[in-house]
Amino acid sequence: MSAPGSQSPVAPDERPGLGESGNDPLVLLELIQRLKVRDVMTADLVTLPRDASMRQAQELMRQKKISGVPVEEKGRFFGLVSIDDIIRALVAGTIHESCGRHMTTKLVVLEDDMPLSFALRYFDRYHYGRFPVLNRDRRLVGIICQRDINRALLVELTRELQRLESVSVQRGGEGAAGSLYLLREFPICKYDFENAGKAANQIKQVLQEKKFATKVIRRIAVAAYELEINLCVHSDGGVLSWQVSSGRAEVIARDAGPGIEDVEWACRDGTSTANEWIRSLGFGAGMGLVNVRRVSDEFEITSKKGSGTTVKAVIYIEGGAA
Amino acid sequence: MTLGTLIGACGGEAVQVPDLNAEATGAYTSDLLSDVMAHCPDGAVLITVQNHTNTVAVCTLVGAPAILIVHGREIPDDMRAAAAREGIALLRTTDDQFNASLKIGRALAAGEQA
Amino acid sequence: MTMSEVAEVLQAEVLVKGDGLLRRVGHVMASDLMSDVLLVDEEDMLLLTSLASDQVLRTAQIVGAVGVVVVNGKPLPSSMVNVANDLHMTLATSRLSKYDACVAVHAARHPL
Repeated sequence: MSAPGSQSPVAPDERPGLGESGNDPLVLLELIQRLKVRDVMTADLVTLPRDASMRQAQELMRQKKISGVPVEEKGRFFGLVSIDDIIRALVAGTIHESCGRHMTTKLVVLEDDMPLSFALRYFDRYHYGRFPVLNRDRRLVGIICQRDINRALLVELTRELQRLESVSVQRGGEGAAGSLYLLREFPICKYDFENAGKAANQIKQVLQEKKFATKVIRRIAVAAYELEINLCVHSDGGVLSWQVSSGRAEVIARDAGPGIEDVEWACRDGTSTANEWIRSLGFGAGMGLVNVRRVSDEFEITSKKGSGTTVKAVIYIEGGAA
Repeated sequence: MTLGTLIGACGGEAVQVPDLNAEATGAYTSDLLSDVMAHCPDGAVLITVQNHTNTVAVCTLVGAPAILIVHGREIPDDMRAAAAREGIALLRTTDDQFNASLKIGRALAAGEQA
Repeated sequence: MTMSEVAEVLQAEVLVKGDGLLRRVGHVMASDLMSDVLLVDEEDMLLLTSLASDQVLRTAQIVGAVGVVVVNGKPLPSSMVNVANDLHMTLATSRLSKYDACVAVHAARHPL
């Protein structure tokens, strides 16, 4: 793998990557889907032009404590000088020669608007320590390494926690019936049949722990399950979220596509756009939205063909937590 | 026992019965047509919710003389036409699969004793 | 009649004891369409099914079933056992057909 002029790999880790074991907390999964590479990368770059020497690159690495120097001119990206390249140059006695001559050009690069979950697969697949990041115009805009990811996740998780705490404090004045004390979001992937329904199962478990009334639990769970399956089977992927506040439980399914052409039709008994393959897996009977409406006290659906769909089911909870 | 006797004994609705004297020797309850193809015995009444033409095709293959549609599901015209072509009886009940199975079971058992 | 007694009557092998083994069985549902299962409002339900998939267990949990018996002696994917364990859902398999299982359960609940 360490061919001359190639990106230098780090020792491969045998454990499953983040988001791959199926055991990662859902808030983490949601984060790595929501964050883009540009949110996480180091944009404050130290770079060298092609005619700078390898010695200069070595100095830069030592001073700035970095393990790679991108070679660029006016934003146009040419390659990367890694520690491996430096070592090779030292051994071969070519350390005075230009970066342009000894840099790595066969590179895997990432795009700045790529979701972090996607980028993580690259880290896992290639075992490189860092990746240059280019924007849509193929201009170098940053560099991303594992440390950047860890730092960003830590910051975001703290922020998320603070947000949840502040929201519950704000609403706390209304008393137990008024406070937002449950809020979860689950990313749902298209055709992810292995996990289809898992979020709804988890929601039900929480409801049982919180000792809501049996009938209320059933209705929320059914709504969540049907909406989750819909996201999995009919959308390009989306988010299932739920919250309990002010004596009502809301289950919301949001996706970014493909959109429903005829919402009326979709909400009718037994109508479905599911194909044969999906039906053979046991889904697609066309009862989903009808059933959600049946168990809800309020039901709202908005959709546009070519863009996203949002379905909201509200179930009233009488007398506070029960 | 004959379909005629069976229908009388279990209270199903005779939607389309080409031959009331056709014999039913048992019953099979399933909504998975692949399962019906694999396990339904010859001569069994198929108890199912699957109200479409594929069900008729499968019954022809396994030698089931009748289909009992449960949960009061409507039988579409193309299913009726297919059943008529294949000589398969169509019955209907508002019962679910469980209760329909019990009634057919009771009827068949009584028939055996007779 | 408890799930444990049902398993006996159906000569079923209990793969996952779950929370339901000793619980009383109320309504019995003999369906393979999970969409239909989600329409039923009964609690303490026994689900008899030919469908051997994780979805059966997830659906069963959503509707508060006491247990699932997969009929026709179908070999179950190992994922089903894992999911049943996660959800504490009682899971058994029986060699009987669904029709015979229905008749057997009813006979046991209403002995002559």
